[in-house]
Amino acid sequence: MATQAGAPPSVGIVDRWQAARLPLPGWFPWLAGRLLAGFGTVLAVSAIVYLATLALPSDPARVILGPEATDKAVAILREQLGLNRPIAVQYVDWLRHVAVGDFGNSLDSNVPAFGLVIERLGNSIALMIFVLLVTAPAAFLLGVAMAVKRDSRFDRTAMTLLIGFKAVPPFAIAVALILLFSTGPLAILPAVSILDPSLSPFAQPLYLVLPATTLLLLVLPFLTRLIRASLTETLEADYIAAARLRGLPERRIVWRHAVPNALPPVIQGFAMATRMVLGGALIVEVVFSYPGIGSALNAAIETRDIPVVQAIALLTAIAVVFINLVADFATVLLTPRLRTTTRPRLRSGTGARLRLRAGGA
Amino acid sequence: MIAPLLLDRRGLLATAGMTGLGLLAGCGGARAPQAGVDEGKPRRGGRLRIGTIEPTQAGNLDAHKPVGAGIIRGWAIYSKLWEWTKACEPTGALAESTEIAPDGQSVVIRLHQGLEFHHGKTVSAEDLVYSIRRISDPQLASPYAGLVAAVNRDTIETLDPRTVRLHAHPGKGLVALMDTWISFGGIVPTDYDPVHNVVGCGPFRLKSFKPGQRSTFTRFENYFKPGQPYVDELEIIEFKDQTARAYALQSGQIDLADLVPVEQAQLLRRSPGVKVVTSPTNNVQSLDMNVLHPALSDVRVRQALRLLADRPDLVKRALHGEGTTGNDLYSPHDPTYDHDIAQRAHDPDKAKWLLAQAGHPSLALTITANAAGAPAALVFAEQARKSGLDLKVERLDAASFAVPAPPGRAITTGGIPARGFLASALHYDAPDAIINRTNFHDPRFGALINAALSQPDVEKRKPLVHEAQHIQHDRGSLLIWGFTHVRAAARDTIGGLVAEKTQFGGWRVDEFWRKDA
Amino acid sequence: MTSRRRRPNRWRNERQIRAGTVLLAAVLAIALPGPWLAPHDPNALIGAPYGPPGAGAWLGYDYLGRDIWSRLLAGGLSIFWMSIAASILALAAGAAIGMLSAYRKGAVDQGVVWSTDVLFAFPDLILVLLVVSMLGRAPWLIVLLVAIAFLPGVIRLSRGVTLGIVEQEYVDSARMMGFSSAHILLREVLPNMITPLLVQFGVMLTWAIGMLSGLSFLGYGVAPPAADWGLMINENRAGLLVQPWAVLAPVAMIALFALGTNLIAEGIGRINARIEEEA
Repeated sequence: MATQAGAPPSVGIVDRWQAARLPLPGWFPWLAGRLLAGFGTVLAVSAIVYLATLALPSDPARVILGPEATDKAVAILREQLGLNRPIAVQYVDWLRHVAVGDFGNSLDSNVPAFGLVIERLGNSIALMIFVLLVTAPAAFLLGVAMAVKRDSRFDRTAMTLLIGFKAVPPFAIAVALILLFSTGPLAILPAVSILDPSLSPFAQPLYLVLPATTLLLLVLPFLTRLIRASLTETLEADYIAAARLRGLPERRIVWRHAVPNALPPVIQGFAMATRMVLGGALIVEVVFSYPGIGSALNAAIETRDIPVVQAIALLTAIAVVFINLVADFATVLLTPRLRTTTRPRLRSGTGARLRLRAGGA
Repeated sequence: MIAPLLLDRRGLLATAGMTGLGLLAGCGGARAPQAGVDEGKPRRGGRLRIGTIEPTQAGNLDAHKPVGAGIIRGWAIYSKLWEWTKACEPTGALAESTEIAPDGQSVVIRLHQGLEFHHGKTVSAEDLVYSIRRISDPQLASPYAGLVAAVNRDTIETLDPRTVRLHAHPGKGLVALMDTWISFGGIVPTDYDPVHNVVGCGPFRLKSFKPGQRSTFTRFENYFKPGQPYVDELEIIEFKDQTARAYALQSGQIDLADLVPVEQAQLLRRSPGVKVVTSPTNNVQSLDMNVLHPALSDVRVRQALRLLADRPDLVKRALHGEGTTGNDLYSPHDPTYDHDIAQRAHDPDKAKWLLAQAGHPSLALTITANAAGAPAALVFAEQARKSGLDLKVERLDAASFAVPAPPGRAITTGGIPARGFLASALHYDAPDAIINRTNFHDPRFGALINAALSQPDVEKRKPLVHEAQHIQHDRGSLLIWGFTHVRAAARDTIGGLVAEKTQFGGWRVDEFWRKDA
Repeated sequence: MTSRRRRPNRWRNERQIRAGTVLLAAVLAIALPGPWLAPHDPNALIGAPYGPPGAGAWLGYDYLGRDIWSRLLAGGLSIFWMSIAASILALAAGAAIGMLSAYRKGAVDQGVVWSTDVLFAFPDLILVLLVVSMLGRAPWLIVLLVAIAFLPGVIRLSRGVTLGIVEQEYVDSARMMGFSSAHILLREVLPNMITPLLVQFGVMLTWAIGMLSGLSFLGYGVAPPAADWGLMINENRAGLLVQPWAVLAPVAMIALFALGTNLIAEGIGRINARIEEEA
């Protein structure tokens, strides 16, 4: 999510650049600042996770070898894994390796951690894209329809349903979906998503349906209401009234004039929805056995597979920061007044935001 | 090849030619269970997909350090000197003959002629020596090195290109060696590498390996059993979740599932096209009492806890009835097992009296359980609660549970796959146990075990074992409440899956075949 | 001004709140007095594992043979107090931090903003999983961790509100008149925050219910043999198709609980938003 920009770094340098015939867009210092902050964030996350994993009770060597191994064997493995060095040394060493793309090997299976993680992350992202591809148009159509037909019966029923789905915890939805579609008379979808790793997840869409549906029901209410609220507010603006007075058809007003201006909060919402999907996915992955990043992390923590835990934490943090950055950037680009300032304020004011949060009236 | 020893509970039937051969009886019970239906002659061809459960560890391909799903992969890639029969006795596989000296201090192993590895090299004594030195190499840090700790890895003699003599460390006996070495004793060539040159002489060659997900194999045409394996290709898919795997079997996404838990078994028995095969094994289910714990160091407290256990109820609830009760002793199928020791009954009154005597009328202890042992721990805690004891159950994740026998732990859930008496002792309470789960050190018991380990003759070993078992029963630290059945499930199109006395029914990848091949 | 006048729909919101209250009351009627109403001891082993519903057991028996109905009655208390505790904690801490941070501005404010970014960037649940693996499963620890997971959101909210107010002139004049910071915060800022915070409380409560039950479901929540709805789902999931009630009953309870609180929160939020607008 967006933050207020810090004091623009080195405005002086920017001025000099601009004076030296290199016209930099106004938002450049902001972007540079955000990149720096993002980098710092990722670093902080990795450091915290590193410390946390090292503070876990019972050491990875013992976990790998199991309780029947002799203490001597465990000690030797610890030495081989470099676990006896001071924590700071291990961390710096790890950072050095990461900087050149070497995330080490999984303690559990000896394959490079990076490859392992990227594949699982790929599965999760594929699921996320699948979900968003379906949710985005659905949320838009539904949200616009609800905003335009405010307070009609359609609006009210849809709202009730959305509230219902939003409230129910994801595993409840998942279990219900399994009972409905994988067992009994309607058994048309597989309850288990055993993806063939040699194929892309998109080549096996049946496995994606149930997990995606669960996540969709998690995210759709949020996005729909956001769009609805944002569009409602936009539709009350004066220029919309003026367009109506001029006799423009309602549909054109809505889609050509109102919706584009209602977009910025929605983009933020998208970023949040992406985060929700990546976050709510762990439970979905467990219930459907989907080989995603959440269950990989869970397994890695359980087996104290430190390189994998850190690789996942780092890559996920990068992904989240990146998504937020892209969302903020898109918002800036889409909003003319923000494009031209050096200190973009991405919030449209607390009043509007509070109304959005409360779901709009 | 060592002729199998047929045992039944009433006595011992020895086949001819056994003198001088130290044979440790495996876990056989009565006659090996027959397959229910005559399935006809095995057909060659086709692809077999096995689903196995590996919730967390991705595992590896190392012959001597397999963990989790690596064990079943090991059955595909590697062959060992011996293998388990369906009656759970070790019988020769790669080994043509095995002779233990009468004093148990050395053993001569001879390989069959003409054995080959996957890459064409002949299996020779050199590879055998390499393999045993590898599994016992401290640098490899194999968790199973302790199983062959009796062997002196520095005094191995190569008698001829196919024969090797192993010597024991002084004072240690090799009688249990076959039983202990079988499990993880894959024979590998001298140029073996667990990552880059994964080669064995098992029924299948490795084709691909994705840790945590699946591995594929192709038939090894020069497998030492002629005509086997039957299927062309094998695929082992790892599932994180039992329910998921059960669904996959039901819908035909996999053909076979090993080690099926009881809940899924009930489900699968009702599914068309799927059969569930239940093997009545002697896999131990135990509650291990730490002798170093202040309260448990008193033998009366331990006896009291053993008397508090309502064993049939534990079997009914923790195993859903699919098991048999235990008498705090392991290996009932071993020919040296003393069947005259009376079955301990459920006697809460006597237990309370003993506790009062020991000065602990209301005892508070913690049972540390992992996910598998939690149901039994919860049931036992509830049983004990009725007699006024406050037993708390602490359920730990696998990593925290793996720390072996810390002095602080009072009672821990445990269990081992069925093995012979001496091999089980080496997992539990022998002086040289790879880890002594209960810190039980009784000098007389230790002396008896060590003597038994050097006594290959079964009849002469019996009195030693009997006395040792009496000690275990009277003042031991193990509460062995039962033995569990082991189930495997397969689609009806798969042949070769039969009930056994072992838990390996679902792992005999060289015996499965497709009826629709 | 031709924007469509909103029809007064107070009645809709009241219906929403009423529906939510009914649901919530139903759930609480089971969860709160439940432990005392249970016909059997929730931990007693009285039936066959996964036994079907029968005379003494309306829903049947769970995987160890315990009465599901009794466990259901006893199982709501933990999630009830833990979700409320986590939400209150997050609210109080987040409001305080956000208020102070926005008021101070400067480096402290930047630090707080950046910290919330870091917390947001954590893969969900990893913090909880790691810390629980580290320190064990004490209920208060889980409450604390869930509160920390919600903290960044509350901080952002309270900070935003505070910023909006602090930039007003009357705050400057109050300061010039010599009122202390604490006085200003408590008297001027806080009253304006109460409404949005209340709405946020309702929302957070729903999330907390979902998150806590999710943690129990994954096995990171309350320890057995405690009767806890999330744990019941976790323990009996393997036998879902053999004895569905052991899973369905607690799932239904959790869903209704979350739904009830959410409806009420939504209703209140709407009413307040409308009041604000009409003001």
